[in-house]
Amino acid sequence: MLFPTATFAIFFLIVLPLSWLLMPNAHRWRPFMIGASFVFYSWWDWRFIFLLAGSILWNQLMGVRIHRAAGQRSRQKALLWLGIGGNLGLLGYFKYYDFFVSSTQNLLNLVGLDVPLEVRTVILPVGISFYTFMGISYLVDIYRGDTEPTTLEKFATYLSFFPHLVAGPIVRPNELIPQIDTPRSPRRVDTSRAFYLIAAGLFKKVVISSYLASNIVDEVFADPSQHSSLEILIAVYAYAVQIYADFSGYTDIAIGVALLLGFNFPQNFDSPYAATSLQDFWRRWHMTLSRWLRDYVYIPLGGSRGSELDTYRNLLLTMLLGGLWHGAGWTLVAWGAIHGIGLCVERFRREHGFGKPFEEQTRLDRYWRRLVTFNVVCFAWIFFRAETFGVAWDMITGLFTHWGEPSPLVTGTVLLAIAVGIGSQYIPPRVPQTVLAGFSRLNVVAQATVLALTLMVTQALGPADVAPFIYFQF
Amino acid sequence: MAVETERAPRERPHERRADPTEEGRRLSTAARALLITVLALLIAAFLNAQNIYKSVYNQPAGTQREVALAFAGPLREVSMALRLDRPRAWFESAIGREHAEIDTEIVLPMPPPPVTETVTSPGAGPTGEGRTGTTPTEPEAPQKPVFTPEDPMRFWIAGDSLVITPGYAVFRAFGRNDAVKQVGDIDGRVATGLTRPDVFNWFRHVDEQVRKEKIDLVVFCFGGNDDHDYMTGLPKDVSIGEFGDAAWTKEYRRRVGGLMDTANQAGAFVVWLGLPITNDGGQSRRWRLINRAIAAEANRRGGKVAYVDMYGLLSDEDGDYAPYLPDKDGQLEKVRADDGVHLERAGGDIVAKQVVRDVRQMVDVTSWRAD
Repeated sequence: MLFPTATFAIFFLIVLPLSWLLMPNAHRWRPFMIGASFVFYSWWDWRFIFLLAGSILWNQLMGVRIHRAAGQRSRQKALLWLGIGGNLGLLGYFKYYDFFVSSTQNLLNLVGLDVPLEVRTVILPVGISFYTFMGISYLVDIYRGDTEPTTLEKFATYLSFFPHLVAGPIVRPNELIPQIDTPRSPRRVDTSRAFYLIAAGLFKKVVISSYLASNIVDEVFADPSQHSSLEILIAVYAYAVQIYADFSGYTDIAIGVALLLGFNFPQNFDSPYAATSLQDFWRRWHMTLSRWLRDYVYIPLGGSRGSELDTYRNLLLTMLLGGLWHGAGWTLVAWGAIHGIGLCVERFRREHGFGKPFEEQTRLDRYWRRLVTFNVVCFAWIFFRAETFGVAWDMITGLFTHWGEPSPLVTGTVLLAIAVGIGSQYIPPRVPQTVLAGFSRLNVVAQATVLALTLMVTQALGPADVAPFIYFQF
Repeated sequence: MAVETERAPRERPHERRADPTEEGRRLSTAARALLITVLALLIAAFLNAQNIYKSVYNQPAGTQREVALAFAGPLREVSMALRLDRPRAWFESAIGREHAEIDTEIVLPMPPPPVTETVTSPGAGPTGEGRTGTTPTEPEAPQKPVFTPEDPMRFWIAGDSLVITPGYAVFRAFGRNDAVKQVGDIDGRVATGLTRPDVFNWFRHVDEQVRKEKIDLVVFCFGGNDDHDYMTGLPKDVSIGEFGDAAWTKEYRRRVGGLMDTANQAGAFVVWLGLPITNDGGQSRRWRLINRAIAAEANRRGGKVAYVDMYGLLSDEDGDYAPYLPDKDGQLEKVRADDGVHLERAGGDIVAKQVVRDVRQMVDVTSWRAD
């Protein structure tokens, strides 16, 4: 079930009142919400619900066992690895099986061994990476003593809660389970922020992302050799805006929907293209994944506690895994490697006194850093979007070899959409705050009319059919 | 396990008002949130009623469509009566968008007399359709038109989403042949086909495009969204029965053949890509029925239409679906997208090679190099 569809609107109109009616009685509310979430998830393919149910049961079982083994550190550790192994096994089979088999077979072919391995066509269940990571954080947090296992019912509500289920944000157990534990107050619903997030998310997805995808990005990435250098350059910038609008749009809607139900999710994007370094970028882009990778991969690997070389290794490994998390493909690993190497270079410069410290930077320095960071991020996006290294290479060489050729795809509207996507990240926070404060004081009819007109404009500007969100495949 | 007693504290009358919040926003009650949501969706439904009706009308036939139409029809009537559809119409006019009109008219040229016979080329795929149109059995093969850099072949690629990847591969395969000139980018329109001109009227669009752009050769791929019982734009008194019935096939062939004739009579050769095998057995069987209809119509038009058996080209040696196929060095290449339907770049390249072979059977785009 996609958020920007009539089906979801009907689903939500049923769930919203029932959720608030049942909220005072947690024993009714939780089974209801689990049921609603399973219906939401089964809309893609009913078989997926068994996978989700299996993930819930496995993680709850292992969480309880890890907790019971408190005091027996080696047993606890073994149970933790077993639990993580179960999660990664699930992810590995559904997401990486074909990738590993074909890569292995090609590697064997290269050394002259012809070992036929079976390539299956495994259907990738939507959102599997998200709830698998949430399951792992539940187990690790219990192992670390940061949280205690909750009841199966509460855990099932936490893991399957439909606003975050298919594309995040990746909500930690200690962020959501306490909210599930306590009935939300029906007198403190932050509706103006919720409506703003939903409307902004819809606009980003339906108008900006879809327009750029269908009017330049898809065409240029399908065959860069057929396009001019200017078209390729603008397509790279357009993709940067498309993926931001697509993913941040989804999480905006998810956070807004959760707010209407009375739940707070963590922020997932904070103007990432205004970042002044790659480190800054990762504090602003997919923030819940960044902190997951930091807390469950980078720090357990040793973080920055070892030698300088160890730190670089840990950074690189974390980003390579981050790349692989996004999909089964070497181009995504390359994307992770570019970010990993970039972070290492930044750290090296910082550690060895190159460049000015933040407090000594002028405004011009910061603009320059933003420009460099944005272009490095865009360069890495080429590998993220390209289906093969061949396409990525064609994109990069095409940036230099086809100048002066006609560029019919570079239109004023494409440039405007890119400008809106990037410019929106430089709007001072007080502007939306002021607008929201005013909106929240309007009466019911006025608020509803403003929202309806916003929906009308969004729908009129968008294409007839909206493609699924990019991050669903992750 | 302790019995949970989680109940919200009883609300007192003076507490029923929502609390204020920081950043100047006023918080609401859940009831007010629900009221605004319902009201906003209701107003939006009236403002967008015309488009809602069109998207419901465009849905595949079935109970869901019938139920949705039962709501969308009256909604549109009320919206029009209250002139609530006007703001959107004004807005669309201001931004140069078309209004949500439903166009089901299919105008097709008269079919040509049938060609005596053609021979199925070697390498026919497991569907048995083979590649046709490339080896006519006429006593004398017609003279192939010659294209040169001064007078290049203008070619256009159009169809549903399945045409996009092989279409770009065809662009690549022709390379920088100056005797070949592509017209526009790939005209691939997602979720369209020949059964639903109300969704997108390809019959009108192809007719306009081939004449306006003076197309010499067109590559088509249609049918991926046509494997269902429902068609719009049917002639009066024609019923089609279920998908694959004789009446359905007859009407579908009329449309396929009509589109071929539209292009041919405007002076364009046609290369028609059949549908590929997919990872869904039922869908593959349905698509083979569509392929048979297309191949049969291609057969009737001799050397002016070539049918490319994408189904066979993308099957493995046992005739089964294959997400990976070996390249010329035996390295496995991913040829199919993860959805099991669309093609990856390497799959497109396999199809494009066959397209180029078929094009060269029909026209001459290389002899200028020898001059």
